[in-house]
Amino acid sequence: MLRYVVRRLLLVVPILLGLSILVFVWVRALPGSPISSLLGERATPALVAQYRERYGYNEPVYKQYVKQLRSWSRADFGTSIATHREVKDEIKQRFPATAELTVAALIFAVAIGVPLGFFAAKKHGRLFDHASLFISLIGVSIPVFFLAIILKYIFAVRLGWLPTVGRIDVLIETKHPTNFYVLDAIITGDWHALWDVLKHLILPAVALGSIPLAIVTRITRAAVLDVQNEDYVRTARAKGLPPLTVDRRHVLRNALLPISTIIGLQAGLLLSGAVLTETVFAFPGLGSWLRDAIFNRDYPVIQGGILFVAFLFVMVNLIVDISYAIINPRIRYS
Amino acid sequence: MRGIVLKTGFITAACAAVLLVTLGLGGSSSARPTLIYAGAADPTYLDPGLVSDGESFRVTEAIMEGLVYLKPGTTQLRPRLATKWATSSDGKTWTFWLRRGVKFHDGTTFASGAVCYNFNRWYNWSGPFQDASATYYYQAIYGGFKHNDVSGLGPPLFRSCAKKGKYKVVIKLNRKSGTFLPSLVISSFAMQSPKALAQYGADEGELRNGSFVPTGSYAFQHPTGTGPFKFKSWTVGEKVELVRNNSYWGNKAKLGRLIIRPIGTTTGRLQALQNGEVNAYDLAAPQDVATIKGNSSLKVITRAPFNVAYVTIHQGTGSPMNDLKVRQAVAYGLNRQQVVDSFYFGAGKLADEFIPPSLPGWSSKVQKYPYNPNKAKQLLNSSSCHVPCHVDFWYPTNVSRPYMPDPARNFQAFQASLEASGFSVTPHSAPWRPTYVAKVNDGTAGDLNLIGWSGDYGDPDNFVGTFFKSFSAQFGFQNPAIFNILTKAANETSVTKRIALYKKANEMIMKYLPGVPYAHSNSFIGAQKRVHGMVATPVGGTWFQGATVG
Amino acid sequence: MSVAELESAEIVLEAPSGLWREARHRLVRNPGAIVGAVLVSVFVVTAIFAAQIAPDKPNEQNLSLLQNGQAVGPSSAHWLGIDTLGRDEFSRIVYGARFSLLVGIVAVAIGLSIGMLLGSIAGYAGGLLDSVIMRAMDVMLSIPQLLLAIGIVAALGPGLGKIMVAIGIVNIPIFARLLRGSVLAQKENDFVLAARAIGVRRRGILFAHIIPNSISPVIVQGTLAMATAIIDVAGLGFLGLGPQDPATPEWGTMLTNANDYLVSTPFLAIVPGVAIVLSVLGFNLIGDGLREALDPKLRGRH
Repeated sequence: MLRYVVRRLLLVVPILLGLSILVFVWVRALPGSPISSLLGERATPALVAQYRERYGYNEPVYKQYVKQLRSWSRADFGTSIATHREVKDEIKQRFPATAELTVAALIFAVAIGVPLGFFAAKKHGRLFDHASLFISLIGVSIPVFFLAIILKYIFAVRLGWLPTVGRIDVLIETKHPTNFYVLDAIITGDWHALWDVLKHLILPAVALGSIPLAIVTRITRAAVLDVQNEDYVRTARAKGLPPLTVDRRHVLRNALLPISTIIGLQAGLLLSGAVLTETVFAFPGLGSWLRDAIFNRDYPVIQGGILFVAFLFVMVNLIVDISYAIINPRIRYS
Repeated sequence: MRGIVLKTGFITAACAAVLLVTLGLGGSSSARPTLIYAGAADPTYLDPGLVSDGESFRVTEAIMEGLVYLKPGTTQLRPRLATKWATSSDGKTWTFWLRRGVKFHDGTTFASGAVCYNFNRWYNWSGPFQDASATYYYQAIYGGFKHNDVSGLGPPLFRSCAKKGKYKVVIKLNRKSGTFLPSLVISSFAMQSPKALAQYGADEGELRNGSFVPTGSYAFQHPTGTGPFKFKSWTVGEKVELVRNNSYWGNKAKLGRLIIRPIGTTTGRLQALQNGEVNAYDLAAPQDVATIKGNSSLKVITRAPFNVAYVTIHQGTGSPMNDLKVRQAVAYGLNRQQVVDSFYFGAGKLADEFIPPSLPGWSSKVQKYPYNPNKAKQLLNSSSCHVPCHVDFWYPTNVSRPYMPDPARNFQAFQASLEASGFSVTPHSAPWRPTYVAKVNDGTAGDLNLIGWSGDYGDPDNFVGTFFKSFSAQFGFQNPAIFNILTKAANETSVTKRIALYKKANEMIMKYLPGVPYAHSNSFIGAQKRVHGMVATPVGGTWFQGATVG
Repeated sequence: MSVAELESAEIVLEAPSGLWREARHRLVRNPGAIVGAVLVSVFVVTAIFAAQIAPDKPNEQNLSLLQNGQAVGPSSAHWLGIDTLGRDEFSRIVYGARFSLLVGIVAVAIGLSIGMLLGSIAGYAGGLLDSVIMRAMDVMLSIPQLLLAIGIVAALGPGLGKIMVAIGIVNIPIFARLLRGSVLAQKENDFVLAARAIGVRRRGILFAHIIPNSISPVIVQGTLAMATAIIDVAGLGFLGLGPQDPATPEWGTMLTNANDYLVSTPFLAIVPGVAIVLSVLGFNLIGDGLREALDPKLRGRH
């Protein structure tokens, strides 16, 4: 397994390098010169000259690339044209919100999707199975922002059960040591704040998690169907073990392996879905930040956002693959 | 038995009553209501001298005051930190008597020293501070600084500020000006605490991405004024929190806390109001007014129309727009009346000139241009740009202004009417900030573009003077007659003479057609019915001093 | 590993005999697939015959139809109502199908053709070529699909044509992986070895045998890619990267323009939204049905 882990780690390097080259080329492919894209239209000639020097645009391409790589490794992504703040500062400020949201969405998808898929497989071919498949298909077929709008309208505006905007009620005075509001509320023991933060997370998480929910349901169902007919399960049943134990000990455990792989992949879907969902709820995370940047053609932010999200995605997949290797005995010994 | 119960009950009730009364008289801010107000975006900075957007001004107007102000809800000039003033016969010397007993939020005293500090601070700004993105209003009124580092600035209007005792200042100007006094109501010229300005690096800044950014902490965490509210905190993307100034010199605020939060979309703000998450919100879309009014616990507060929406006609070397006949064809080819009737939900009035009817200098004798596609085609065919005359027409995205609630909608209607009038329209769009406004100002937004203007103070110079007093890249024309009459009007101090001059100027402008105005529009605030005393100012602000909830 | 790869791994490839007949048999018994087929047919027919089906032109403004400046809901004259510029919603939806179909087909075609080429070359050639190609695919897959599309559109400029290219490019790695997996699985099959023994050139084997045998997962993935393409176009339109002429009757753009009118006239958002959901659902149902039908593991079970 060590060989697998090492191999997997090494794989990350060319991917990240390739990613950096892709983005480097992308900046130069933007309409206008890369400088005007990164500085905005109001840059004075003096400022442009300054930037050319600083980022080496007067030098040969490979030198520019090295300089760019160095600044990116320092997390220097430039300055936002719209807000004039450093991109890395905005990422730092906005990331916790999106992180909480994606985790919440993932929890929602797994907590509902796994049981749903499990029972669909158990009742294979019957109404429940078809119904759950149909629901999951609808989940994949609704654009995330449309679902967000509908959910907000029904549960917040019409029924008034949940809030419509933000992460936390503006009237609540509480401390934020980590900027992860859920964590902060737990740390400071502010249960009122915790409940409020969770309320603000529900609707966006459900909207965002709708697609992963559909996929988790499908994969669980497929995995359980697969495992159910394996010999070892039939043996266990023949042995006389109660069905619940069979399910728990053999079916679920083995079905969970492909499911856990999928979960890591959902990170990508969730991060891009956040761009469409957060705006509907005025949720101050990376998603609404990127959406504003796209609307405003704020290229430094788009560049920084894509780099950061892709980097995150690669890391999450790395962790998932390695933990998968740890869990899956078949790989452990390959 | 009953006696004892009665006695106990009576004592309990008495104790409860005493307790309640004590709490009520406690005067602690937690007993006062909180108002949550939603705007469209975060403020840019909280140093009003360095910004020009309504989101920033909304906050600074609650915490800072100028020498004079507009009586809330009107365009009438009134004393504020200055109690009276006088001007010399040549109009170049102004004396202000200052209000006594006023303290800044940091405890320092407001007196003549503070006034001159502020005036001199603006006058002495240099380098990056002279960029148009930093000191828009100062440049618009005063023209230039002590040393002009940036090209395009003129000779400064301000000459000096002198203290005559603790509560009197004398300000000397380099030329007489009819706009100096009215302009002092602009939020940029509020009086800020010299101690705080110095302590927190208010005069440190640089240019980033071609735009000005303050680098001290004053504009982000320590704005200090004399107003009825004090700054408490600003969490970007979440809220600005202000608290009641308990030592305020005038009528103290009824609110204990004022929270201003950004919600980007009109629908988002409306839904937050419907759900009770905010008490009021600004820039309600006109199409939502009916919904708000139809809700029994909500109401609409209307701002009188003090703006103008217009189509810029950009002239330049070799442009077909240089031909007056082509400009006239544009004016006849826009179905302005129908757009105003259909898209403004009764909140719009057709604009036939560049200033709203409520301002002095408005003329009823301007040339009118009712929609007439055939006339437009005739004009084109006798001009230098025959049918079909190709034009590039720009409109902004990602924005809603009171005078232009749905730019894309206006654009599509105008595009269709122009095409029916012998034009061939190529559409272009760009996001409002940072691109569109800059392009319009630079004159790189095609032959025609949709834009507008909301007044800052009650003077016609703020409208037509800003546009047409001198050559501007936006319109791109040279017309000495118009430039001269407007400059003369701006410097004229006699009210009757000014009105006559502005009337004549408006008539000349609408003959020359540098652009085509089409709408003056109300703007709306949506609020809960239990919000009282909140006043919407015609210049786009909201007055919270007398506001209360419940 | 992508979701697509995992899901396509559910299909173990065997020699095609009998697969299609059985597949068709199972397909018609799948209610979901039938519904999907109906939805997709309606969608395609509407798109092709838009000019005949639509009662009005999609860009014909009629401001006098507005009531107090508001768009008006469904009526007998206008089945789906009129929009904020007095244009007939039904006509716009019908013409919008054309845009969605066009984008879907072009995007999937781009992704499919280039992806298949790259994937089969990588799988068959192996070695360094395989590594290089697959690393490149990995890099593209390391950026979440929508963000990659956004990046491409940002570079190319907004507009419908650019969106088609962007979504097409985004689909390339998925098809590449699919084909590579399929080729790898078949490389050691008997009939391939036999062909090589006879002396058939590698290229010939690739195009004459292996690729045709990979058709089934490609078809499945193709229909699913159509579905995601339509959703991605709507998403890109929501982000302001869609067709730059706001009058374009494209569903995603219509949905975005309805944002400010959600409270006053919600039907302006509901109508294009439902159109998107139904067409995407149709493709998903068919793709799903095809997958189940072609899954040899389910053979002989019913």
